[in-house]
Amino acid sequence: MINTDLLKEYFPDVLVYDYYIFVEKNIVDVISFLKTKNYVDFDVLSQIIAADCTDFVQLTYRLYSTENNEFLNVVTKVKDEAASVTHLYKSAHFDECEIHDLFGINFVGNEKLERLYMPEDWDGHPLLKSYDQTDERLEWNNDQSL
Amino acid sequence: MTNLFKTMEINVGPQHPSTHGVLRLILELDGEIIKSCKPVVGYLHRGIEKMAENRSYLQYLPIVDRIDYLGGFFNSYAYCDCIEHLAEIDVPDKAKYIRVLCMELNRIASHLLWLGTFMLDLGASSPLFYCFRDRERILHIFEALTGQRMMYNYFTFGGVRFDIPSDIIDKISVFIEDMPECINDYENIITDNPIFVSRCKSKGILTKKNALQYSITGPNLRASGVNLDFRKSNPYLVYDRLNFDVSSDISGDAFSRYKVRIFELHSSLKIVEQCISFIKNSSDEFLNKSVKPVMLNIDNAEYTSSVESPRGLMSCTVMAGGKNPYRVKWRTGSYYAVQVLPELLINAELADLMAIFGSLDVILPEVDK
Repeated sequence: MINTDLLKEYFPDVLVYDYYIFVEKNIVDVISFLKTKNYVDFDVLSQIIAADCTDFVQLTYRLYSTENNEFLNVVTKVKDEAASVTHLYKSAHFDECEIHDLFGINFVGNEKLERLYMPEDWDGHPLLKSYDQTDERLEWNNDQSL
Repeated sequence: MTNLFKTMEINVGPQHPSTHGVLRLILELDGEIIKSCKPVVGYLHRGIEKMAENRSYLQYLPIVDRIDYLGGFFNSYAYCDCIEHLAEIDVPDKAKYIRVLCMELNRIASHLLWLGTFMLDLGASSPLFYCFRDRERILHIFEALTGQRMMYNYFTFGGVRFDIPSDIIDKISVFIEDMPECINDYENIITDNPIFVSRCKSKGILTKKNALQYSITGPNLRASGVNLDFRKSNPYLVYDRLNFDVSSDISGDAFSRYKVRIFELHSSLKIVEQCISFIKNSSDEFLNKSVKPVMLNIDNAEYTSSVESPRGLMSCTVMAGGKNPYRVKWRTGSYYAVQVLPELLINAELADLMAIFGSLDVILPEVDK
C-alpha cells in the first residue's frame, strides 16, 4: 500500500480510499510525487480512463508499480482542459490523443496533441453522452419493453 | 544549389502486406537511414467502446471477440471477469479450467500465426506453412468445441456455454503430444539460421527504461529484462494452482522477443496438459446455472480486470449503470507497442523496418478498437 500519511503531508486535500486517490487539483504534482518521491515507485502508467459524467469528465490515471506489483487509481474531474503528463510517462501521449479525440479534452503541455481515430474534420466527440445518436439503425435497441 | 543532404519523406501503408491490419507509417529517410517515424492509426476504428453504451451486458458479449480476433478468448474472459466480479457471480472450478485450457490453446495459435507471418516478413516463406498447418489443428478443435474458427462467443457469465466432450479432449491430448516435436522443427529451421540471426540480433533494441516508460507489457517487456507476467504476479482463474515457467531475456532485441515467444509455446503446452488431467477427473458443473444473464442489473460500480493476453496486458474496465454498461474501456498491449515503434526505428535502416515492426507482434484491430 502507499504511504498515506506522507501523501497527506504534501497534499492535504486528497482523499484516499483503498486503491483510489481522489484529487481536486494539481494532478500532475500528485502523479509526479507518486512516481518519484514516495517509497512505492509507480514506474508505469498503465492507462488513462476517461468517462463522461455529463457535467464533467472523470479521468482515472491507472498507475502500476513493477517492484511492488500493485495498481493505483488516481481520479480527477476535468472540464474541457487538463494538464498533460507526457513529460512523466511517454505512454500517455496516445491516451491523451484518444481522450482529446473522443471526449474533446484539451491537454495543456502536449504539443503533438491531435485526433487519434477520427478524421481531422469530424464533427463532435463520439464518446460524450451528448453526442448525437439519431441513426435509425440504433432504434431497435432503445425498446424499453425488453 | 539544392541541398544534397535533404531528407526524404515516404509513406508506408495503410494497406501493406506486412502491417497485419491497416497501419500507416510516415517515415523521414536520410538515404536508407530512418530519421523519424510517425504511426497513423484509426483505419479500423469500429467504436467498440461506444457500442457498449447502447446494449445490455449480454448483448455486448459477442462483440468483444472482435477486438483482437486472434485472441478472442482473452477478450471474452476480460469482459466476463468484470461482469462476474460486479454481479458477484461464482464460477465453478471446471469452467475455470476449461477457460484456461481455451486461452492457452488460443495463445499457441496466436503465437504460431505471429511466427509464420514474422518469418514471411523477413522473406522466409516455408515456416509459414508449418505454422499454419499446426495452427489449423487448434482451429479445428475450437470449431468442434464452439462452432467458430475465430469469434468464439463461448465464455458466458458464470462459466462456459457448452461442456467439453470427451472426443475433443482426446484430440487435444494427441495435439499436445505432437506439438513439442513441431516446435523443435521450427527451431531447427529458424533459431540457428544465419540469415535470420543477422537480421534480428541487436535490431530494434527496446531498453528496460523505455519499455516501462511506454507501458509495454507481455512478451515484449519480458524480452527487455522485466520478468512480469500477470498470470504469475496477479494470478486469476486457476493459474496459482498450475505449474509453469515464465521466460525472460535481457537483450531486448528482435531475436530475444522471438526466443521469449518460442518458450511461451512450451509453457502453454504444459498448462494445457495440467488442465486436461483436471477436466477428465472432474464431475463439476461447467456453468453456474443460477445466473440469468438477460436480467442482469448492476448498480453503479466499477471494476478493471487484468489478463495476460498474447500481446501483453489486456484490461477491461466496466462502469456499470443499471441495465447497460455506462462506459467500457479497453486497454490492449498492441496500442502501446505501436507507440514505441518510432523510438525503435530511429537510425535503423529501412530494410529492417518490417523485422522490427514484426517482432513486436502488433495486431491493428486491437489498437483501433
